[in-house]
Amino acid sequence: MKKGKAFVFAGWWSIALVMVLGSCKKMLPVDRPAFSLESQFTQDLYQPVLGRTTLMTNNFNAEGSTLPLTFRIINVRTFNDEPAPELLKLFPVEVWKKPYTGDEKTLAEITAKRATEDHPLFEIREHSGEFIMWNSATSDILKAQPDSGYLFDVEAFNDGGKRIFKNMKLRPFRERPYEPNNQNPITGANSNPAIKPFTVTDMITDSTGSNMSADDISIYFYRKGEGNSLTLRFLDKRLQPMDPDLFKDTKWNELLHGFNMQKTKEAVRYDVAFPIPLVEMPTRYTTFDGKQAKMVFAYSRQGFGNLRQDASFQINFAIYRKGDWEMVIWFNRENPKFIND
Amino acid sequence: MKHLLIVTISFLCCFGAVKAQNVVITGSITDKEKDRPLPGVSILMGNPPKAIGVGDNNGNFSVTVPANAEIMFKMIGYKVIKIKASAKQHIQIRMEVESNALKEYVAIGYQKKTRETATGASVSISGKDLQSVPVPNVMELLQGKVAGLNIQNNSGAPGARGSMFLRGLSSIGISGGGGNDAFLTPTSPLFVIDGVPIDPNTNYEYGFQQGGPGLSPLSLIPTEDIESVDVLKDSQATSLYGARGAYGVILITTKRGNSKTPIIQYTTNFFANFAPKLKQIIGGKDEREMRIWQIMRYDSTIYAGRENINNSPFLSDSLNAYYNNSTNWQDIFYRTTFNQTHNVSASGGDQRFNYKANLGYYNEKGIIENTGFDRYSLSMNTQFQPTPRFRLFTAVAASLGKNQKGSGNGVTQSGVASASNTSSLLPASKFTGGADAMSTFSNRNDNKTANIRTNIEVQYELLKGLNVNSNFSYDYTSGVEDNFRPSLTNNNFAQVYTYDDRRSSLYNRNMLTYVKSINDKHNFNIYGFNELNVKRYQAQIMQQERSPNDQYEGPLGVGGALSKGGILNNFSEVRTASFAGSFSYNYDKKYVVDFSYRWDAASSNGPDVAYTRNPSVGLRWNFNKENLLKDLKWLDFGSLRGSWGKNIVPSGNIFDAYGKYNFAGRFNNSPAIGLDFGTMPNTMLLPTVTTQLNGGFEIGLFEGKVSLITDVYYKMVDNMTWNKKLANHNGFTNIKTNEASMVNYGYEVSLMVRPLPRKCAVNWTLSFNGAINHDVLARLPDNMREILVPGDKITDQSILYRLGRNSLSNVLYHTRGVFANDMDVPVDPATGLRYRTSNNANSFFRAGDPYWTDVNGDYILDTRDQVVVGNSQPAITGGVTSYTTYKNFSLNITMSYTAIRDILNNSLAQRFQNLYNPYNPNALVPIDDYNYWKSAGDKATYPNPMDYKRYELYYPYRYNQTLFQEDGSYFKINTMTLSYNIDRNLTKRWGITSLRVYSTVNNVYTFSRYSGPDPENVTDLGRDRSDGYPNRRSVTLGLNVQF
Repeated sequence: MKKGKAFVFAGWWSIALVMVLGSCKKMLPVDRPAFSLESQFTQDLYQPVLGRTTLMTNNFNAEGSTLPLTFRIINVRTFNDEPAPELLKLFPVEVWKKPYTGDEKTLAEITAKRATEDHPLFEIREHSGEFIMWNSATSDILKAQPDSGYLFDVEAFNDGGKRIFKNMKLRPFRERPYEPNNQNPITGANSNPAIKPFTVTDMITDSTGSNMSADDISIYFYRKGEGNSLTLRFLDKRLQPMDPDLFKDTKWNELLHGFNMQKTKEAVRYDVAFPIPLVEMPTRYTTFDGKQAKMVFAYSRQGFGNLRQDASFQINFAIYRKGDWEMVIWFNRENPKFIND
Repeated sequence: MKHLLIVTISFLCCFGAVKAQNVVITGSITDKEKDRPLPGVSILMGNPPKAIGVGDNNGNFSVTVPANAEIMFKMIGYKVIKIKASAKQHIQIRMEVESNALKEYVAIGYQKKTRETATGASVSISGKDLQSVPVPNVMELLQGKVAGLNIQNNSGAPGARGSMFLRGLSSIGISGGGGNDAFLTPTSPLFVIDGVPIDPNTNYEYGFQQGGPGLSPLSLIPTEDIESVDVLKDSQATSLYGARGAYGVILITTKRGNSKTPIIQYTTNFFANFAPKLKQIIGGKDEREMRIWQIMRYDSTIYAGRENINNSPFLSDSLNAYYNNSTNWQDIFYRTTFNQTHNVSASGGDQRFNYKANLGYYNEKGIIENTGFDRYSLSMNTQFQPTPRFRLFTAVAASLGKNQKGSGNGVTQSGVASASNTSSLLPASKFTGGADAMSTFSNRNDNKTANIRTNIEVQYELLKGLNVNSNFSYDYTSGVEDNFRPSLTNNNFAQVYTYDDRRSSLYNRNMLTYVKSINDKHNFNIYGFNELNVKRYQAQIMQQERSPNDQYEGPLGVGGALSKGGILNNFSEVRTASFAGSFSYNYDKKYVVDFSYRWDAASSNGPDVAYTRNPSVGLRWNFNKENLLKDLKWLDFGSLRGSWGKNIVPSGNIFDAYGKYNFAGRFNNSPAIGLDFGTMPNTMLLPTVTTQLNGGFEIGLFEGKVSLITDVYYKMVDNMTWNKKLANHNGFTNIKTNEASMVNYGYEVSLMVRPLPRKCAVNWTLSFNGAINHDVLARLPDNMREILVPGDKITDQSILYRLGRNSLSNVLYHTRGVFANDMDVPVDPATGLRYRTSNNANSFFRAGDPYWTDVNGDYILDTRDQVVVGNSQPAITGGVTSYTTYKNFSLNITMSYTAIRDILNNSLAQRFQNLYNPYNPNALVPIDDYNYWKSAGDKATYPNPMDYKRYELYYPYRYNQTLFQEDGSYFKINTMTLSYNIDRNLTKRWGITSLRVYSTVNNVYTFSRYSGPDPENVTDLGRDRSDGYPNRRSVTLGLNVQF
């Protein structure tokens, strides 16, 4: 074999080998995430209540898909297939930046933990598929029930595949600015705005001496302005103001997470941050599950047979809308008995 | 074979020798390196060279040649020596070993070939390189010697064997439960010992839960008896071991007699085993104070803490002698041992008749109490060739291995691990360390493995070039375990346990070969053979509970209702039958073509599966023989080779293919036998197939100074078995299918350099080898793209199979760091809630807690936040060997390395977890070396280990996080041997022809960034379990005498 030929032969041999091995590598599957076509939303109707930030969770089953998936809301429209720009437009919403602990000492401290950002009112979390309805969404802006609401599609994808979930429904309920609330969720009509306390303990009436029940106390919420306060008023059976200090065992400073308490003979006023409770987690101001604020009004007296009676009633409530709120507590049948027997 | 050649050549040539007058030359021929007589050297003269004589068995010769003629001394494996005939009467010829790698012999396909004509990829290791280090299992010494053979000595238990992978993974099957106990289905190469196939994956079925002695069959071969080890890597090299060759083949050849004067050789080693550095433990007062400080600091209230301390006497009753100690429990279980080996071999004979007998004794006491290994072995072989046409070879090897497993099994030491995890406050007594400590000392564990291996081979030359050859071998192993647990260690009731198994393998091969050479240029080699193999295995256990007392162990008086026994359900019988043919052709050893084809059937295949067909083809071009390059002085050899082929290995068992009848309850009050609905028969069950493409390049330069062998390969493993769950309307629960595939591709390099000039008194050989391997998963059942194998309850370390990725990926939480302050915890902007775990809605992360990445951004840590990271299989493995000789001294250093491998440091995680119950008297290890969170603002790597009250809410030291995934790369100095050959003239008067003394240090040092004790001592899934058996370090003094 000639010199040149030998090298050519060697060259071809090596090139062929490299090519064969190289092409084998190409035959291998690509390392890409799995996407299961059986992945799905477990819920396609979403009915958040307007006026409060609602997070809708546990709504997606990824089956065998590789996580995280990426989600995107597309093709938002009204139920009649008309465009719905109000759902895409950015609105200022209040978001948390730092952890709320329940131990904040001033209103400014709480304010510093929050910030205002621009978001669409209805959002999907990019990788978890959870929906958020921000509290800036009101029935002035969005169509609330009984309207049929909106339709939208969600695109879920990763590098391994993509699926569009069509015709998901969003039918928000109109605002209920406080809870508990007897308002009809669909129409908004409210024939009986009075709510009752959560518990009444060992309270007796001053004239008949009968036990008081939750039905004997009516609680009304009034929004009086755009500020940041909550005022408590007590009315006796004749609708006359009662002195809050009659409930002498009440821990006024720990009644709710409010500041600058101003107590007069007629009312108690706190500067507060909204919503109440600020975060749905247990603090000393909330119920065990943290979902509602808890207020206990208490007093004690010497009962029959010189027994000490610790009497109290507890109100569990939540207020979602910012404002100067007034909470009126009316003893609608008889007044409680404060004096000793 | 080589003797046959010499004798034939000498016979043929003697007749044609030219008788001339002139000078008579006499002399002696010796081996330059070993300094001993070299018998049977051919003496040639003329052009073309013709034989004129042959040296006798003492290396002496006498030839008559014309004056000034050039005569050559030639012996296969040695360099040719040419001298000018002169009147000098007695000359000393010192033959030097041929270092040209191409002239080495490789055993491929039941035949020996020179490397020049081999088209497959293989590596040959001389038995000389495996001496001087006393180890129970020769595989330990092969570590780092063969490019592409990844050996990890991951258990130091005497007699156990480490894991072994040739060219990456061959199986993705995981068994043994989960967590630390999970292990890969073993796929170590097939071993063929003197022609008898031995499956080293046997006695390994149960992994960490194995029953029986747990001795590897390879531990029964004395290393002193090994002549050579050949590692066959690609499918062409292994093609003719087909039916089980898919994982590669390793051939072990024991020594043969080849000296007319009988040689008696005695080798002895005295060696001391040292336990490695053990864990540091906080002892005595420090331990008590640390616990009390932790309780007072982190219990819910100071009063609760005080109450709890008062309720824990080992904390409060500090003046009680029982609790006032500082015991290092490890010192009680670990020890330094002195051990010995003795080996005598006698060999002799010539081509007509030769024999060898080897008698060996090996004794090693484990570094853990109550463990150890003893081996008694006797092997003999003999060859008888009355005429050049008839040859008979017989071999018998019997060995007996006895081992003690202490309180663990052959691989791990869970008893010692839990016993040494006892508080130092308790006194050092076997009664206080709990049942585990006691069982370490008082369990009577006695295991015996007996093996007999016989082999007979007959060859007859029917016509010139046409040989018929028949080989028959039988291998029988019996394992017995006796274990007695005295009542104190077993809830006050003694237990008697006996286990025995038997395994046999019958093998027969009948072969017809034809060798033809035309004009010395065209060389043909054709052969065909059939093969039969029957393997049987059965094990049984008897366990008698509650024997009357510790002295009377039954059989009467035991608790019959609790005792059990019977045959284990892992009995098996596999038969394989094969037919194969091979055709080789080479033109002047320049162009070589190999082709082979085989048909294989196995009884474990499904009944609808016919013989599997496995072809292979190999090509080789020795370009240094081209006219153009032939005369280049600096080029010793150079060649290119390529091969493609298929191999199989039976997978699954006969029940997977045919189903099973089983006891199915009672009908009409009589026992009924019915179909077992566990596994649905798969009548199409196929063996696992590997298809391999291999390319190689070999070059030798500067007269043996440099040689380089590189290989590139692409290995597909198809038809891997997969246990698939069936929908419940099928009646059956699951089915074994062949629906998984994977690919390994990689590169291998072996480089040998002799840097010093030939005349230098110091002779230095430096060898380096390395392999890069990538494995990629190519197919999963039902065309799934990925399958998650969830972890066990304790470690929760899942394994992900995903197409296109390395076959076994870890799935872990990604640890970003530790929260320095409470305010660093991320807050859900919508709800205002802090980042938390999913198991409690109201326990949020706080300062000192680990920060795990919230992958899906829902501010809740759950399994959806796990990420796929890491690869438990090493990407790069290899080794370095340095061999230096100076006068009579020689220094041999072997090193090995493993790089790019991820280890899950479960042992460290467990150490931190021990802090989570200050009331539990377990061992506390110092954690000051670790940068853990202590107070607000600390930038720490490890979370706060002290806050035990909140531990269960968020498990900061959970095993399945990237915090404990570490780089397991290491560089290890395996052995260092310094030896001295005492001058022959000094020992001659006692009849000693060679005397060598040496000293070896084994497991010298491991360089690694891994924070655990030993990056090698981890499971083959890369998990560092805390109850592993650590690798010992040994120092040996050895002596080798030859008469």
